[in-house]
Amino acid sequence: MKPEMPTKAEKTAGAGNAVKILRIVLGAAGAALIGYGLLGLPTQLGPPQLLGLLVWMAVAVLLHDGVIVPVSTVAGGGLTRLGSGLRPASAAVLRGALMTGVVVTVIAGILLKAQSVARNTSALEGDYAAHLLWFWVVLAGLAAVLAYGIERTGPGRGEREQKTRP
Amino acid sequence: MEKLTNALAARFASPTRSTRLTVVLGRWLGLSFTICFLTGLFSHGLQEPPSWMFFPTSPVWIYQLTQGIHVTTGIAAIPLLLAKLWSVYPELLKWPPVKSVAHGLERASIALFIASSLLQLTTGLINTYKWYPWPFPFRQTHYWLAWVIWGSLLLHIAVKLPLIIEHWRTRSGTAAGASAPVTDDGGAPQEPGRWSRRAFLAAVGVTTGAVVLTTAGQSFSWLDPFNLFAPRKMGTGPQAVPVNRTAADAKVADLAGAKDWTLTVSYQDTNRSLSLAELLALPQYEHELPIACVEGWSQTAIWRGVRIRDLVAFVGAPPSSSLRVTSLEPEGAYRTMDMPATYAQDERTLVALELNGQTLDLDHGYPARIIAPGRPGVLQTKWLNTVEVL
Ligand code: HEM
Repeated sequence: MKPEMPTKAEKTAGAGNAVKILRIVLGAAGAALIGYGLLGLPTQLGPPQLLGLLVWMAVAVLLHDGVIVPVSTVAGGGLTRLGSGLRPASAAVLRGALMTGVVVTVIAGILLKAQSVARNTSALEGDYAAHLLWFWVVLAGLAAVLAYGIERTGPGRGEREQKTRP
Repeated sequence: MEKLTNALAARFASPTRSTRLTVVLGRWLGLSFTICFLTGLFSHGLQEPPSWMFFPTSPVWIYQLTQGIHVTTGIAAIPLLLAKLWSVYPELLKWPPVKSVAHGLERASIALFIASSLLQLTTGLINTYKWYPWPFPFRQTHYWLAWVIWGSLLLHIAVKLPLIIEHWRTRSGTAAGASAPVTDDGGAPQEPGRWSRRAFLAAVGVTTGAVVLTTAGQSFSWLDPFNLFAPRKMGTGPQAVPVNRTAADAKVADLAGAKDWTLTVSYQDTNRSLSLAELLALPQYEHELPIACVEGWSQTAIWRGVRIRDLVAFVGAPPSSSLRVTSLEPEGAYRTMDMPATYAQDERTLVALELNGQTLDLDHGYPARIIAPGRPGVLQTKWLNTVEVL
């Protein structure tokens, strides 16, 4: 796990050496902390719990790499096609709004699920479904106004201005 | 196989991705993980103090602040981690997967980093919802994984340092504005409908802002109006203070409601039992103190009752004593609580009998509970039974 590979940075002698030393120190410290954590786990978790943890970690990675990224890539491709008639700025506003909406919805979705299984009535008392609906209304409204405003301003004006800036 | 992974990689290629993008996201994520690690260690230290632990009691909202920051920063890290992983996704598809022993080790360490980070953020979030669907104990797992994650972060920085240095600043000359149609430093021309690196970063920033804004109101009162998606809302619950463990949960209603309830204070051979009337006859003090839960929510309230240091003096014990406090709860991890001398001596640490001007609600620990400055809520023992001077 030691840093290897000579790099461009290392060729500039003095600075290169400092970087090299920093990498070795960081790498060694990092490996030591990882070891401390990994050795600590079995002192408090039994074999079935460790196995459960391993399974949960594997599922988390599979869900992320196998579902979340591919789905968002496909969605992004769709947006590229949809947005190609728009100015880059307003297409970006729509993409950004969708990103925000989806992440907030996932978090609120987990919250709603937790609410449905919670035994304690003193937590999770909000009407989260209604809140989510309101969130989307405000988000869509803001995004629409912004995108519309950008589309309305003269063609290419903003871009040319930006280009001449230092 | 290589052809297949190359084809897949092409499918996932996006001109928005670049080393510079990854470095910027990595900075944000590294900072948030570090904040979580440090505030988390502080929380751990307060609950399982090593011999050298320091116990700050001023400002009284210290733990409210650190744990509020912990959970809020942890939530902010969710979109940041997703964005960071998205920015390096094509790496996953590179073929061959392992080129050398060093390369294999590096990839293994990355796999551990990603898996533990994804798990830490998800279970951390769900834990604050008081939902525990996993087959391992949250707190212990969260604690040890924190070391693994922060260690992985250091190792990862060590491995990538030359790239990080190279891309720390935007390279001059090719710097491009959000909507500039010129070549960005990734070298990729902007296609219609795609977004630039800066637009992507701005969107990640807005997303992070949105999840923070709509949840942080559980920890920071000035954000309360925007609290849409936090599991707790300030000002709710009996006497306008949220409750974590109700009297019914703790199965103490009968014991706590008993007419002949007394609080027993003991030191060596001295044993004094005080009824509620006797406690009320002692000098009463009032303090504004927050109750700050390990789950990040908090609530400031007015507490009134007897100073614990007066009870220590009452049984003739030295003021610098530490205490063991027991609840009426028949069982539970927090039935007994040890109180270091710092808190026992502090004049704001109360055996509270009143909350916000009323007799303590049963769910808040009637007839008497502990409230000390700067401690996690789980250590503010409710339904007191005994106070033992150690
Ligand atoms: C890289 C990210 C994180 C790190 C390094 C980290 C680290 C820690 C550490 C070291 C503790 C102390 C555990 C103990 O008392 O033994 C802790 C506690 C806690 N963390 Fe995190 N944490 C992270 C993310 C999160 C997130 C995302 C959340 C929730 C949104 C969260 C929620 C909590 C809670 C609720 C506790 C209190 C546990 C208890 O005392 O019962 N953490 N964290």
